[in-house]
Amino acid sequence: MTENVLEIFNGKSAGAKPQAGGVAASHGYQTLRWHTENRVGWLRIGQPPSNQMTIQFFREFSDWVDSVSDDAGLKAIIIHGNGRHFSSGADLSELLANLSNESMLENYRCFQKLEKMNVPVISAIGGVCLGSAFELALFSHFRICSDDAVIGLPETSFNLMPGIGGIGRMVTLAGKARALELILRGMTLPATEAGNLNMVDAVVPKRELKDIALTLAISLPEPFHVEFRQVYIEKYLRRKKQVQD
Amino acid sequence: MYYGKNVTFEIIESIGILTLSDPPENYLPLPEFIPLPLLQDWLNNETLKGLIIRGEGRNFSAGGDLGKIFTLAGQPAGLEDVMVKGHELLRYIELMDIPVIAAINRVCFGGGLEIALACHFRVASENALLAFPEVNLNLMPGMGGTYRLPAIAGTFQSARMILGGDIVSAARAREIGLVDHIAPKDKAWEYSLELMLKMTRERPVKVIRHVMTAIRNSILLGREEAAAGEVRLFCELAADESARRKTEENNTVLTTNPASNIGND
Repeated sequence: MTENVLEIFNGKSAGAKPQAGGVAASHGYQTLRWHTENRVGWLRIGQPPSNQMTIQFFREFSDWVDSVSDDAGLKAIIIHGNGRHFSSGADLSELLANLSNESMLENYRCFQKLEKMNVPVISAIGGVCLGSAFELALFSHFRICSDDAVIGLPETSFNLMPGIGGIGRMVTLAGKARALELILRGMTLPATEAGNLNMVDAVVPKRELKDIALTLAISLPEPFHVEFRQVYIEKYLRRKKQVQD
Repeated sequence: MYYGKNVTFEIIESIGILTLSDPPENYLPLPEFIPLPLLQDWLNNETLKGLIIRGEGRNFSAGGDLGKIFTLAGQPAGLEDVMVKGHELLRYIELMDIPVIAAINRVCFGGGLEIALACHFRVASENALLAFPEVNLNLMPGMGGTYRLPAIAGTFQSARMILGGDIVSAARAREIGLVDHIAPKDKAWEYSLELMLKMTRERPVKVIRHVMTAIRNSILLGREEAAAGEVRLFCELAADESARRKTEENNTVLTTNPASNIGND
């Protein structure tokens, strides 16, 4: 863990490792690390252990999404957590203390901008992925979970509700009745159950998570058409899913 | 307990229970099986957290009173008028800001299935039977089933059910997405109440109503509009929760301060 923390504050050395095929890295973020390798961009989110989404995170994320949205050189983006977990979601006490419609709308805007990107966005989810973090994953084009992942929108357990588009997207994926039950009960689900409810596209062994995400990123045709999402899932993820079953 | 014509209403643990009660078949006298103003009056209660619609006795409902339909069909405008009212009633139920469960034991045909489809959840007992038999009388579902069923079960399965008039078992209905939960034999009502309480018991009314409103928005409105609405709803809940936490903090400070002051002095 100390190593990870050092890596964040010392992002330059981590990103500047010479790699075959050329590596580009952007720096100055404390809650994100972004680097591209062979045209695949890797976005590592948060600060361990829980990678909470703080106000600073959202600020940096918004900055990042604006900076990459016009990058014609990218082939795909993979979002993953820093360390064991994807992210435990928003930092509630900070959020409640600094709440405004404008800041929430801005968070929404940057998630939507991610969703509208021309290149495929893949969330590689290990460990915990809850609340706003799962909303971020829902705005991705593909969700691949390691078998130890736990996902959900537990906001109602804190007398709140999902606030960044998670409700609508969960309804689309899992159907109105399932989504309603999960959200009202504030349920969290293991990866396989989430897969059965169509909320994640593949469940894979933990140690293969990043490889499978990368394989998908490389395999997807260019230009990418999100309308064919289901076809790509069948073609590139189905086999992995069956291995898991 | 409140009484309407062939329908009763009561409240159990903040859950409204609407019972179709003309046993054993619970035939529906009219498409508008309860006058909408009466239902609105019964539901005009800010503490309500959910609604369950069930049938009295063994069955949910065998559907509309077809004799009456054919009589009305002879009168110009008569039938269309009652059908429109039926539509309005089901639309009202579908758009409610509390969750609505249809608790389906045994028979759920025609108009009964139309009511169930307007609910947010369908819980069916394992011995439930669902069908749109209208086609057997050269009719068709007339209260929204032709668009509500495809929305959850797809065009193919819907066409099979509606054109075939086939009776579908609970298990089969679960497979095609028409039913969300299967309850033990004849236990749809008990199962539904338990499910409803699991979803609502620990939730403040406002959280439930805000989530339901957001879901409604996500279905009715464009994404941008739904987003703005959701942010507003979220911020309202967050403001409440923020205030609640502050009060809690203040109370803790008030109760602990005197002691610590004494210590410090």
